[in-house]
This record gives sequence, structure tokens and C-alpha cells, in this order.
Amino acid sequence: MCCKKTDYLRLEKEMYGRKASELVKELASSEPGQLAAFDNDLFAQVVEECNGHLVHLQSSLLRKIQEEGSDSQTTRNADHFGALIHHLSLVRNKRCLMAYVYNRAEVIRSLGWTVECVLPEEIGEKLSTSEKEYFKNHSATLQAYMAELDLDLAVVICLFLDGSLNCRIKKVNQGSLDDSTVIDVSTTEVQKVPRMQLRGWNVFRI
Amino acid sequence: MAQYFDIDDILAEDELVPAVFKEAANGVGIFDSSDDTNRVEAGSKAELPFWLASELHLRQAVSINVPPCFNKKTREEIEADAAHVDLRKRCPYFYELGCKLAHLIDDRILSDKNIGPVLFVAFQTRYKDVLVKAHTSALSVTAKNLTLLTREETKLYETAQSSTAAFKKWKMGGPRFQKAYVLGRKRKPTE
Repeated sequence: MCCKKTDYLRLEKEMYGRKASELVKELASSEPGQLAAFDNDLFAQVVEECNGHLVHLQSSLLRKIQEEGSDSQTTRNADHFGALIHHLSLVRNKRCLMAYVYNRAEVIRSLGWTVECVLPEEIGEKLSTSEKEYFKNHSATLQAYMAELDLDLAVVICLFLDGSLNCRIKKVNQGSLDDSTVIDVSTTEVQKVPRMQLRGWNVFRI
Repeated sequence: MAQYFDIDDILAEDELVPAVFKEAANGVGIFDSSDDTNRVEAGSKAELPFWLASELHLRQAVSINVPPCFNKKTREEIEADAAHVDLRKRCPYFYELGCKLAHLIDDRILSDKNIGPVLFVAFQTRYKDVLVKAHTSALSVTAKNLTLLTREETKLYETAQSSTAAFKKWKMGGPRFQKAYVLGRKRKPTE
């Protein structure tokens, strides 16, 4: 993305904030609801760039402003605007990093409703260490809440939304019930059906 | 704050905007040509990403110009036949960037730089066209027109298609007409 006109200054290849945008672009290119592997490498590079901005800000520009004895609030000299550009880049990088973590966390939270407490290996290896910890804690909180209510919300929601009490359960994955099994599930019985038994089954209204 | 984590909003602000520095700045190595002093002189021209240009503009450090994707040629093409202009190639965040820029540039009201009306005309014409295509074309046919659409329009197209598919599914089967709960309780007219 360089400039077309010759009288324009060419932006440095490593322009401030460019790596952070790449990180967000990675997020944008993945399918909604799907997770790509956590890009530790790029993430670390962006954090490093942030540290660079901080060093520039504190050690050179702000100190220079102070040494000159000018008031940093009112003076508008070249040092001030240099510091401003570093500050804005820091803010931008922060926003990109936060968005990266936040949007991934949203997907991880939704996993808590569909996946059992233990993550499948193919998903687990895409998460960073702290994300795994986050999933574990979030999942445990969900379980504790459901245990407190004595209700499996992940299953009951679809029954209640359907507004029906008689349901046909169709086999989707490996399970113990027969493909053709039709069972009546009433609101009271739902709570009796073990959670594991309904997992991986689609519940349809008859 | 609602848009703080929004991916599209972040990427839209990454688009380049031509700007002229009104003030010099020290210690910034953002340009290829900059030497060891890393100083940007006042009067230098550069294409800065919108997130940087807009904030510097608000602090009167740079002045912003209208990016090439809103130039005269594009305007004329939009006026002639908005539906067939390749906006994605020009700027995938055409509307988002345009709306953000319009706030910054409009105070100078120059008739050929005022981008608000251009956005309005483009969106109005193309919106109708996108919806018609999404509703009528078969699902398997990905029209070549799709490559002309901006990010916003692609989303609209996909949403319209999924709603058409849902409507067709509803039309084909399933118990459609259910007695509303309240109807059964209606009082019978007394004679």
C-alpha cells in the first residue's frame, strides 16, 4: 500500500500500527464462530512495538520537553507532535490487541455451551495458555450455575423455545439411543434425562 | 465505545488518507525517506492511515485531503451507473470511511469535495440493486457482480440470500399455521 503520487512521502514498510492491523485482519478472515490458531508470534511483535513507542515517548521526547522547561500542555513544537504520533500509535495498537483478544474470547465463551468441559484436541491447540484457562473457568462457572439450578440449560433451551413437550430425538453422533427411537420428553422428564445422553442429539418437535 | 472492538471499524480506519503536515514532528520514523534524525518537516505530504490522520487533523497538525476513491472520476462513474462501479477495488470500506471523512471535511464545504451526497446516491442505487440480485439469483450462482461490492454490501447480499433461503424453506414444509394461544380462549358470541 504505497503512495501513487511521487510527491508523497513513502510510508515505511513497518509503519506504526501495521502489524496490529494484520492481527485484526487475521481475525476478519476466519469464518464466523470459528477460531484460527492464536498468533503468538505476531502478537508478541505488536507488544514489542508498543514498548518501542513507550521508550520513545518517555526516554527521549517527553524528557526533552521537560529539559527545555516548556509546559507540555501548552507548547506545540515538533517534539510535542512527535510524542503525539507515538501516543496515538500506542492507542491504536492497544485497540487492535484488545479487539483480537475480545473477539476470540467471545467465540470461546460460546464454546462453553456446545462443548463438554474438556476441549477437543483440535480446538485446544489453537488456543493460547490464558485462553485455555479462560475456557476452563468459564465452563466451570456455567456448570456450577446449571448444577445450582439443577437444570441443563444447554438442552432445555431448545425444548422450551420449541414450545412443545413431545419430542423426537434424532441421532446425529455416536450415541446409545437407537436412530428411530422416539421418546416423549416432558418438562419434568428433561431434568431426569442425563445430560450426557442428550449431548450430540438433535431434538425435534413431532 | 460500542464499536471499540468492532473488527470492520478497526480495518476501515486503516485505509490511507492523503494528508499534509502543518507542523513538524520529531522522532517519528514512519517514512522511507527519513534519515537518522527521523524528523518530519511541515509541509510534507503523505498518505497516513485514517486513525492517525483524523486525530492529527483534530489537533491541527495535518490537513486532510479527499482520498482517491472519492475523486471526480469515481463520482462521475457513480452518477452514470452506480451499480456497476467497482467500489471494492477502490476501497472495501467505501461507506464507512466516507462517513468518517464527511464529518472532518464537510466544514470546508467545497462542492466537489463534499462526499456526503456521493455516498448517499451510491448507497441508494446499489442497495436496491444488491437486494434484487440477492432475492432473484439462484443460490449456486455467485454473480460476478459480487466482486464489485464493498464489505458492507457483501454482508447485505449474504443476509438477503439467507433470508430468501429461510423463506423458501418455510414455504416448502412444516406446520405453518398454528392456532395462536389466545384464539382458543376467545369468548363465543352470545346469542
